[in-house]
Amino acid sequence: MHTDPWGHLTGDAAGLAGLVMIFLVAAAAVIGPAISPYSPNGFSSDIFSPPSSDHILGTDFMGQDILTRLLFGARTSLMIGLGAAIVSSTLSLAIGGTAALFGGLYDRIVMRFVDAMISMPTIIIAILVASYIRPSLPLLIALISFLSWPEGSRVIRAQVLSLKETGHVRAARTFGAGWLHILKSHIVPDLGPILVAIIIQDARRAIFMEAGLSFLGVTDPSMTSWGKMMHQALGFSYLDVWKWWLLPTGFALSITIMSLSFIGSALETALDPRLRRSKNKIVRWIQCSRSKA
Amino acid sequence: MLQIEGLSVSYGSQKILKDVSFCLDRGESLAIIGESGAGKTTLGKCILGLADGDVFGEVRFNGDDILDMSQDELREIRGRDIAMVFQNAEDALHPLYTVSDQVIEAIRVHGPDGDEVSRRAYGLLEAVGLDRDKADSYPHQLSGGQKQRALIAMALANDPEVLILDEPTASLDAMTKADIIQLLRSAASGKISIVVTHDISLAAKLTSMTAVLYAGRILETGRTSDIISGPRHPYTRGLLRSYPNMTTTKDLQGIPGRMEQGVEGCPFHERCTQKVDRCASDVPALVESGGRMIACHRGGVVPLLKVRGLCKSFEGHRVLDCIDLTLFEGETVAVVGESGSGKTTLSRAIMGLEVPDCGEIEIDCSPVNARDKKFYEKVQMVFQNPRDSISHRMNILQAVREPLDVHKKGSEDDKLRSVRRALDDVELSYDEKFLARYPHTLSGGEVQRVAIARALVLGPKILIADEPTSALDASVQAKVLRLLLDIQEKRGLSMLFITHDIALARKISDQMVVMQSGRIVEIGPTSDILTRPQHPYTKRLIECSPDLSALDEDEDRGDHGSAKESLMAEKIKH
Repeated sequence: MHTDPWGHLTGDAAGLAGLVMIFLVAAAAVIGPAISPYSPNGFSSDIFSPPSSDHILGTDFMGQDILTRLLFGARTSLMIGLGAAIVSSTLSLAIGGTAALFGGLYDRIVMRFVDAMISMPTIIIAILVASYIRPSLPLLIALISFLSWPEGSRVIRAQVLSLKETGHVRAARTFGAGWLHILKSHIVPDLGPILVAIIIQDARRAIFMEAGLSFLGVTDPSMTSWGKMMHQALGFSYLDVWKWWLLPTGFALSITIMSLSFIGSALETALDPRLRRSKNKIVRWIQCSRSKA
Repeated sequence: MLQIEGLSVSYGSQKILKDVSFCLDRGESLAIIGESGAGKTTLGKCILGLADGDVFGEVRFNGDDILDMSQDELREIRGRDIAMVFQNAEDALHPLYTVSDQVIEAIRVHGPDGDEVSRRAYGLLEAVGLDRDKADSYPHQLSGGQKQRALIAMALANDPEVLILDEPTASLDAMTKADIIQLLRSAASGKISIVVTHDISLAAKLTSMTAVLYAGRILETGRTSDIISGPRHPYTRGLLRSYPNMTTTKDLQGIPGRMEQGVEGCPFHERCTQKVDRCASDVPALVESGGRMIACHRGGVVPLLKVRGLCKSFEGHRVLDCIDLTLFEGETVAVVGESGSGKTTLSRAIMGLEVPDCGEIEIDCSPVNARDKKFYEKVQMVFQNPRDSISHRMNILQAVREPLDVHKKGSEDDKLRSVRRALDDVELSYDEKFLARYPHTLSGGEVQRVAIARALVLGPKILIADEPTSALDASVQAKVLRLLLDIQEKRGLSMLFITHDIALARKISDQMVVMQSGRIVEIGPTSDILTRPQHPYTKRLIECSPDLSALDEDEDRGDHGSAKESLMAEKIKH
């Protein structure tokens, strides 16, 4: 009954690795730009210079310092991740939670809307809308949040519905407690773990989506972004520069997304023993069907 | 005819009897019951004109006021018209005269003389079971029962009109007592008899009327059978509950506090669990109510919870069908029945956790329109699974304090005090260390006690308990039940106790409701239902309830076999 998410997270190898990686990326994003002598957009005539003591990862086709752009890109990615996670999970909590609590017609209308949202191909809509409005950072956060809240809201609705029927919520009702008190003291605390999982999931997807949209070149051109860097680097793949331009960028993006995936899955399995069992079941089922084949 | 009007007696400043009135005709018998110190003996003595204190009021015997009579007139009456069997048989007989001499003397003082007197004396002694041999013995040669018989013979010596029996069987063993009761019953027939006793079973066997005396006042009076089967004054109920007997099945419960003389207002209010402000200032008058007289501002034990015509269906399936029940202050109603009979739905419908389709609920005689905080302040619930009903994220303090937080009752300090008091009531520790513990570190019984403390922290009058002990071991269950009964005794808590265990219900309930598929099939006093079940379903429930008789190879197999067979037959029919 009593769970210790932090203990489970640090006890799990993947979870711990995820924590370390995200910490490194965050540290680089915070400290890096401050100590870098270059501006991310400041160009020089010194283009395509290989790594040296002046430019640790060399320069790109505009003579911009790649390392500086990488560090600023981390900032963008993390800000998108954090912003979208907060906005999207708040929407999920508010809409899923109220649907479960109020029920009735409101619940039915809201959940049908959620179904419709989920059935739509998110990435296509994102590309269409983004190519039209060329979103800046805040707009991009809004766009990604709008597309990703429905899934979280379903999970939260299901959880609130089951929490609503627990003994202690029923007991609280027999003290004459109103819904506000029950939400505050009984439902939100028990929702904590699942909310953390949703936040991490949202962050991961937001970072991925931003990189993808930037790669396609449908975001605000003035934004420093890993996706955009990879797009530019690909254009010069016939030169040697990809080694210090494309690879480190791709590596940074992978680490960030992987770390969040690790943390998310470690948390999810740690917090929900039933999930762990059902996962095992699926694994066993897959193994079984494989051996039969 | 004996008529007592506004009789008051005081010794100095202490009032022993206050405004006692009653009237008895020839052939009527009255029991005066109450605790020691209630003034029972003083009342008996007043009728004989023997009270030593300051006496006011009237004691009219055939129209003449005994209190106005001179000593000579009183001597005339005593023994001849009004006789008394005294409490202590040892002291009431003179040790230097034989029993027969003492009976003869009792007749002689009122005139008659000669052989006839001694013949009558021996006749009387024989009638009470003392043969000539015993009759000529000295008191120290007789047993307690025989001395009591001799005293009865003395009291009957002049065939008095009024017989006052002061604890006539107090020091006798059960067998002798039964004999003496038989004797007294025949002796008292056709006379006015007054039995002063604290022994309720004696009152039941000897008298047709009963008056309950408390601190010098009559609190309840009426037909003995009515009063014993359905006491209406909280004090009478308390007396009956604390009296060990073979009829009621509920565990013995006492009355909180002790009797004090000179209490303002209703003499019983300090010990009463249903008192209101008025009880402390005004003396309630003895008024007629439903065939008896009750002195109570609240008209006797209050019906705290009334459920009328409660119905509930789930998807067309009737789970509750017109449920009517009444729960009185300080009493337990056990709702029994197998699982699926609608017991839990009933409790939830009362609590407002399910919305009933129709029906009304009254709390304290006023209808409940909304389940608001005022309602939940009076009615609280204890759930079946204690671990589930307390959030695992709250420590003991937070859990027990939650109802107070919801009701915004008092300051933080007040809340903490209330929490500590509630934990103390359920016999749990309430120090800082315990308050900071989490429910999963406690045993099942402890968690359930925390849940009970939480339900009691608002000071409700009604507790709805849905199988509160079914998740506990038998020994822990016993403790929790004992605790609930003690709280009931102390605070007058009314309990609606839902259980499938009829053996458990037997020990804790006053009334029993038997439910089968959403319907009440039987309702009544627990002891009645258990000894004389009417409905076949009740009979079967009782048959299947646990007993400790070991399996007897030959006989019991037959019995169990037939019970099982009838069950099978029933199932096949359906």
